[in-house]
Amino acid sequence: MNFLKAARYFLMTNFIGKPYLRYERKRGERKIAHLTGENSPLNPPLKITAYTKEFVSSHYFKGRYVEGVKPVAWVTSGAPIEILKALGFFLIYPENHAALCGARKVQMDLIETAEKSGLSNNVCSYVRTDIGSLLSGKTPAGKLPKPDLLVACSNICQTVLHWYRMLQKYLNIPLVIIDTPFVYNEIEPHQVEYVKKQLKNSLLPVAERIAGKTLKEKDLKNVIKLSKDATELWLEILNLCAERPSPLTVFDQFVYMAPIVEMRGDKETVDYYNAMYKEVKSRVNMGKGAIKRERRRLLWDNLPIWFKMRELALKLAERGINIPISTYTYAWGELAPLMNLKKDEFEVMAKVYLSPILNRGAGQKLKAMRNMVDRFKLDGVILHSDRSCKPYSMGQMDERNKLIEEFKIPAMLLEADQNDENAYSEEQVAIRIESFFEMLGVSHG
Amino acid sequence: MLKIPTRTETIYKFKAKGGKIVAVAPYHYPKALFRAFNILPVEVWGPPKLNTLESKAHIQTYVCSVVHSILAFYLQGNLEVCDFILIPHTCDSLQGLGSIFLDFIKPKQKVLTFYTPRERRRIDISFLSKEIEKLYNQLCEFTGEKPDFEELHRHIDIEEKANKMLKKLLNERQYLDIDDFNFYSILRTKEFLPAEEFIEIANDVYLMYKTDKPISKTPVIVSGLLPEPMEIFTIINEKNGFVAGDDLAITGRRLYPPSEGSNPFVRLAKSIIFSPPEPSRGDSVEARLKNLLEIAKRTNSKGVIFYIVTFCEQEYFYISHLRKGLRENGIKSILIDTDINQELSQQAITRLEVFLETLQ
Ligand code: SF4
Ligand code: SF4
Repeated sequence: MNFLKAARYFLMTNFIGKPYLRYERKRGERKIAHLTGENSPLNPPLKITAYTKEFVSSHYFKGRYVEGVKPVAWVTSGAPIEILKALGFFLIYPENHAALCGARKVQMDLIETAEKSGLSNNVCSYVRTDIGSLLSGKTPAGKLPKPDLLVACSNICQTVLHWYRMLQKYLNIPLVIIDTPFVYNEIEPHQVEYVKKQLKNSLLPVAERIAGKTLKEKDLKNVIKLSKDATELWLEILNLCAERPSPLTVFDQFVYMAPIVEMRGDKETVDYYNAMYKEVKSRVNMGKGAIKRERRRLLWDNLPIWFKMRELALKLAERGINIPISTYTYAWGELAPLMNLKKDEFEVMAKVYLSPILNRGAGQKLKAMRNMVDRFKLDGVILHSDRSCKPYSMGQMDERNKLIEEFKIPAMLLEADQNDENAYSEEQVAIRIESFFEMLGVSHG
Repeated sequence: MLKIPTRTETIYKFKAKGGKIVAVAPYHYPKALFRAFNILPVEVWGPPKLNTLESKAHIQTYVCSVVHSILAFYLQGNLEVCDFILIPHTCDSLQGLGSIFLDFIKPKQKVLTFYTPRERRRIDISFLSKEIEKLYNQLCEFTGEKPDFEELHRHIDIEEKANKMLKKLLNERQYLDIDDFNFYSILRTKEFLPAEEFIEIANDVYLMYKTDKPISKTPVIVSGLLPEPMEIFTIINEKNGFVAGDDLAITGRRLYPPSEGSNPFVRLAKSIIFSPPEPSRGDSVEARLKNLLEIAKRTNSKGVIFYIVTFCEQEYFYISHLRKGLRENGIKSILIDTDINQELSQQAITRLEVFLETLQ
């Protein structure tokens, strides 16, 4: 560790970043009650929204000064981060960063930079956003710390393997690939064994070498426990959305899920979700919904359309439609029961990281959707057919047909992209949503 | 010209002798394993120029034409003759297709899947050999047969001979006086012919067309999944060029090295793991570039045609880096986007023609 850098990190994060972000949070909390006017179909957001901003910003703020202080790894969203956390790594999730760019609507400039450098528009828009950011140095996060290690886990898609190979070429640092065979039916012992061996024999030695220390079982257990606690809390929060009216919309969840993706394994994340749980629960007790007049409740499938979140939230709420849950936000909670603290940690991690929704067949997703429709008392399903994300989107046409024909649930496919506005047609989306409103019987407000 | 058997003829001939057929999607799989069960793998790479109306009810239009064609081909009843369907995990789109078959379409044939690791470590060989063993156990269960190790080794040896023959033809391409369309039509019989028959045909071709002097045309390399639309060959040949080497999934990317050892599953795994670098194995930019440069050096080619199926993310990923690397080594390249169900556009033809002219 470089002591000068460590001192700067300590000073900047504790004496500049912390007070400033705390002040901003307080200001945000005061403003929240007035954020949605009397005429808005939405109720004011949770107070935790300001806390979320503080929490996520403080992570990126620390990232500006962390180089030379802690080892840094850039990892995919489904990477087995517990090992890295237990070794003291500071983590950056390029996918989350790309989502942040999309939500802040700065992504198209970055996408253009990447495409000008020769990256095809047939490549996922998260990759284009992030490579654009890497090449231009532009980021709404201020500055991303340069990594010492890259870890790509194939449990979300094959895209990340090529993406991280490219990052490796640009950054010239070690890359560890954790290959998680796709699970068409049930997880098989040879798959578990394979992932477990990769964690032990591929990831661990490289991570230990870079961190300059040996993994202690106690630390790993502790991080897994913190991951599990946060994941369980997230699941409980989402389950509160089964109440009528739902205390949250999916658009809130897309924002509140950031820490469960990029800061799981930290004690602060458990505290954060604890605070959120209390506030959401109190909303439920008051019978106060996220939207003022909840007439219909829908399920969202797939990633959000980050650059259109607010518009969509308002458009739906104006017709009394809430989306209390999505397969995407729920996916981050449903792995909690698999985190068995009594078993061998590597075995547990292998099973957990083989199990994400994106590593399972489309029939499994349909089953999950069917259950959510019942559990969350939903009236229909919007399947975001995301041009960028083939693993999430393939199978959706059959899923939609089954929902409509076998389960008699109205369902609609919405063609868009999570970050690329060029794959989004305002007119088409308006027409499709309008006709879906008709199906739901809410076409006239 | 040699008489080449068609897929249909081959299938019926094989079935008439009591064999079974497995339809195989692209592109790595343990061929010898199936042959040991008297099952003939017949690869389905499309087929091209198909009306894919039926697949559009299941798959979005932004998914590649190869996947659309495979599904449409099935839905039009063309795979009825097959006893099994195998979907290797080549990419996210084929992963999706496998899932659609298993979970929604549920064909009367058994649907098998096969995962190829994305690295080349010892643990990958060990996993892959277990994945192959799993396939073996499934086939035992479905067919009631249980070929022993000796039988498995026998088939591995035959397939390796066929691979060797393919390699010989590709490596000595410059000494074979045959046009590209016919040359690749012959090579592509390996997608459906039993290895023994392919070896015979390949041998005949070699003897028939082998010359002492290299072909005095401009050598080029084609990279991509498959050379569809096959018009590309006519254009290349008309412009006095020829395909001297390839980085195609149908041929050059499946030059499996011979294997050794007493465990047939490990042998099969090793030959797949150590196949040439390519996108479906998640290889690095450097490994891909090195491979292309080696082919260029060996064939004295000064140009590479990236013939890429639109929407195939993994083929597009490194293109700019590969082209840059080739340029730095004095090799020109061109990117042509294709749809296997459509003719090449006039614009693509003109670009190809101009590209070939610049190489002369
Ligand atoms: S393809 Fe899908 S899962 Fe993969 S990085 Fe892109 S959005 Fe994420
Ligand atoms: S063309 Fe590309 S995306 Fe399509 S099946 Fe082949 S490898 Fe997959």
